[in-house]
Amino acid sequence: MTQGVVARGRAWVAAVPGIWLLVFFLLPFLVVAKLSLSEAAIARPPYLPLWEWDEDYLTITLNLGNYRYLIEDALYINAFLESLRIASVSALMCLLIGYPMAWCIARARPERRNVLLTLVILPFWTSFLLRVYAWIGLLKPNGVINNMLIGAGLIDQPLTLLQTDFAVILGIVYTYLPFLVLPLYANLVKLDGALFEAAEDLGAQPWQTFLTVTLPLSVPGMLAGCLLVFIPAVGEFVIPALLGGADTLMIGKVLWTEFFNNRDWPVASAVAMVMLVVLVLPIMLLRNAQNSSEELA
Amino acid sequence: MKQLPLAALIAASCVAPIASAETLNVYNWSDYIAEDTIEKFTAATGIEVNYDVYDSNEVLEAKMLAGNSGYDIVVPTSDFLQRQISAGAYQPLDKSKLPNLANMDAALMEGLAGYDAGNEHAVIYMWGTTGIGYNVDMINERLGDDAPTDSWALVFDPDVVAKLADCGVSMLDAPTELLPAAMNYLGLDPRSTDKKDFEAGAELLMSVRPHVRYYHSSQYISDLANGDVCVSVGWSGDVFQARDRADEAENGVAVSYVIPKEGALQWFDTMAIPVDAPNPDAAHKFIDFVMDAQITADITNYVWYANGNAASMPLVDEEITSDPGIFPTDAAKANLWASQVYNARQDRNVTRLWTKVKTGQ
Amino acid sequence: MTESDDQPWRDPNAQPFLRIKGLSKHFGSVAAVDKVSLDIYRGELFCLLGGSGSGKSTLLRMLAGFESANAGSIEIDGQDMAGVPPYRRPVNMMFQSYALFPHMTVADNIAYGLRRDRLPRADIAKRVDHLLAMVQLADFAKRKPSQLSGGQRQRVALARALAKGPKLLLLDEPLGALDKKLREETQFELMNIQEETGVTFVVVTHDQEEAMTLATRIGVMRDGEIVQVATPREVYEYPNSRFVADFIGSVNLFEGVVSEDGESHMRLDCAGLGTSLYVGHGVSCTLGQRMWLALRPEKLRVSTEKPAQSHNVLQGVVEEIAYMGGSSMLRVRLPSGAQVQVTQANLDRDDAHPVSWDETVFLSWSDTAGVVLPS
Repeated sequence: MTQGVVARGRAWVAAVPGIWLLVFFLLPFLVVAKLSLSEAAIARPPYLPLWEWDEDYLTITLNLGNYRYLIEDALYINAFLESLRIASVSALMCLLIGYPMAWCIARARPERRNVLLTLVILPFWTSFLLRVYAWIGLLKPNGVINNMLIGAGLIDQPLTLLQTDFAVILGIVYTYLPFLVLPLYANLVKLDGALFEAAEDLGAQPWQTFLTVTLPLSVPGMLAGCLLVFIPAVGEFVIPALLGGADTLMIGKVLWTEFFNNRDWPVASAVAMVMLVVLVLPIMLLRNAQNSSEELA
Repeated sequence: MKQLPLAALIAASCVAPIASAETLNVYNWSDYIAEDTIEKFTAATGIEVNYDVYDSNEVLEAKMLAGNSGYDIVVPTSDFLQRQISAGAYQPLDKSKLPNLANMDAALMEGLAGYDAGNEHAVIYMWGTTGIGYNVDMINERLGDDAPTDSWALVFDPDVVAKLADCGVSMLDAPTELLPAAMNYLGLDPRSTDKKDFEAGAELLMSVRPHVRYYHSSQYISDLANGDVCVSVGWSGDVFQARDRADEAENGVAVSYVIPKEGALQWFDTMAIPVDAPNPDAAHKFIDFVMDAQITADITNYVWYANGNAASMPLVDEEITSDPGIFPTDAAKANLWASQVYNARQDRNVTRLWTKVKTGQ
Repeated sequence: MTESDDQPWRDPNAQPFLRIKGLSKHFGSVAAVDKVSLDIYRGELFCLLGGSGSGKSTLLRMLAGFESANAGSIEIDGQDMAGVPPYRRPVNMMFQSYALFPHMTVADNIAYGLRRDRLPRADIAKRVDHLLAMVQLADFAKRKPSQLSGGQRQRVALARALAKGPKLLLLDEPLGALDKKLREETQFELMNIQEETGVTFVVVTHDQEEAMTLATRIGVMRDGEIVQVATPREVYEYPNSRFVADFIGSVNLFEGVVSEDGESHMRLDCAGLGTSLYVGHGVSCTLGQRMWLALRPEKLRVSTEKPAQSHNVLQGVVEEIAYMGGSSMLRVRLPSGAQVQVTQANLDRDDAHPVSWDETVFLSWSDTAGVVLPS
């Protein structure tokens, strides 16, 4: 009797993530998938229904034209590629900056680690928008950075920092850095300190220890961190809208244009579907990495 | 008629208000009402008002097309109004509840009827034009007396714009307004829906692209006021707002607004009631209240946009009524055009060309 | 083979291979290692034996270079180790957790140190094959550590630590993670390998049996100090303090006051026992000094009849008997209330006169069975 109750309780607990996925991922996904196969119309909502009952006939109309559209106009592919490029560069920059941070925190005295981790997360305590707007103030032609450089006599004319790809990448790196530092830190702090001593004992100088032991063993953490930066960066809309120039072409902006300017919800949904497929690949990589790190542990 | 996608996005994410019998939910453009209008309405009717704002027609449209917005009053611009009416987003007005309709300017309401046959669904709130705002001294300094400040040439002639690039040129991020303006400058019909005309307009815009600092629909207000840009294609009321800010700051910046001699887009922002409004009765009361001569005059005196209320004109400040940028002369009026409503294909075409203008792709 | 070849520490002219002088290490106000001086000779298998917190591991880590000294010096083969980083010391260490690199194969783990020396590829392969054969893991070269058993991992760790042919091999609880049976087998394997390679081993352990089996000499540590350095036999038979006597094996301690101090004998008055004990050799002491007689349980004889000897006989009642196969352990309660532990070898399968519970017995020992300890 009690065993049955326990088993049923377990089943319920296991079902919670399943229900979560169903309600917050699968159902919206299906709605978007359905939308991507319908046709835009001036109506409320602005698309035609996918199926219709007409007496005894069920008519299902699937419109694949939305996807054809994405292939025919190079704009979409270019926007995807540009988004992938900016997201990759951002993830890489995050890694270059975040690795030393994560490493230092992991090597710090345990009582100091929490302080350092809090510092990493501290920016989250202010509004994300506010922080991005602050960068506008720093980067604009008569902003803080340019004024300082001019004041120091290093430049005569203000540098064009705002409304460039540089500003977009800077904004993404700044915003998403904690997402890289935290999983990487979790990975590094779990590594057995004896491994580094063993390497050193066997004649490895500190940099050799890093390259041959620390680095390979932190691959799962690096991968998880990079993907946590890369995935949201691909679809990022706010940062390129605020810091990017008119010619910064990212898929988030294209999606916005389709949805709001063209009010073509089906094509917008098709863009979203393709984006999802593009992002599923890295997510699968992440899962593999997690599995292999579990094997290591 | 303003645009700011980002702020709009945030506004769009807000939870739709909860309606009850004694409340009215108004969704209007930001900075688009007199400070005391709502207060007075509540005092007069006892109806509490939830007042939300947005910055872009696109966001309003997304909400209207999705339905169940919870709003009783919204303020779409004329061309968006037309499309949303055909999508079935608005309910017909019960004119028996709107005695103040008699105050409205018949000619302007006739103009709005081009978007809303028989003025069945909406009344004019404010109206304005899309023209050019500029920094008088900076333009004079660079172009001298020959400055074509009365013409689209100021922003569409590459030779002229090239000389202004260093002091900053901005344009609205609004394809359905910029492309027709470019077509107008080229001598084409700004209401044309011919693909070739669109492409010709886009080509003109691309020829000045290298000299344009940015495409944005609100940033130019402060930049114009601070002298960070010297010429902007913008909305009349916003340019006046920039002029006011410069005056208040006493920073020596003189901003002027002009309706180009070739013509300009005339648009109407209208009050309409969503088909699923929770409290249409209160919505009618609100529309009628705003159509009161004094109330409308108060709003115009505050926001510096022209209204469509003939009875209010004697109550509007002389400074405003005499400004040809706000109330154009009859000669200028003859060249104003009403926005064309595009079908989906044309819309996509215009958006795509605009992307090409901005990104070169 | 002369005695000094086998036992270089007895040769006053022998040069120590590892020379530790006045070495101290403080963590805050705690002295983990306190003024330790120690000489270890080439080819020794030296065990540092102590309980947890005795400082043995810190001492080992100082030899490896992971901890720096607050005072004192370490010299290996005539070379001062001050300021020499771990990766430049002619020393390798086998870690208690083994610290095998989880992302490398067994072969790569063993080759790790050799690769750091930039040896030719072929030489490395040859050396790795040799080591794999030595630890009997030739078939496991391509496995990852996670695919090995505990004993196999231990052997990989040993092979890896030996790969570079260090002058000194440090082993931190090398058998600590193995179960008892495997531990006993591995002890001998470890000794064989040490003999085969001729490398000087310093082993840290808390297990006195392990130390007794392995070591040429044992250094017993307590509170950061070395309290006795001697061969296993000496440490057992001639402990220099009650602590050492008690730490290594079991012991009965009788407290007394010196009442006779002769050239070749002494006598200890034990108030607690109500009798005096006779020791058949001279001890440097003074009359009236408080001393202890340490008696190992197996040095006591048990009989039901009063033995003939006139001294060193105690009478008591058997309280506990534990049969342990090879021997039996008895606890005998003396009239004074003190308890004495005795082990008896089970010489015959059927003992005709087994001692039973509550039986009154006599305990006796020879004049030279005990050790007199001043502290």
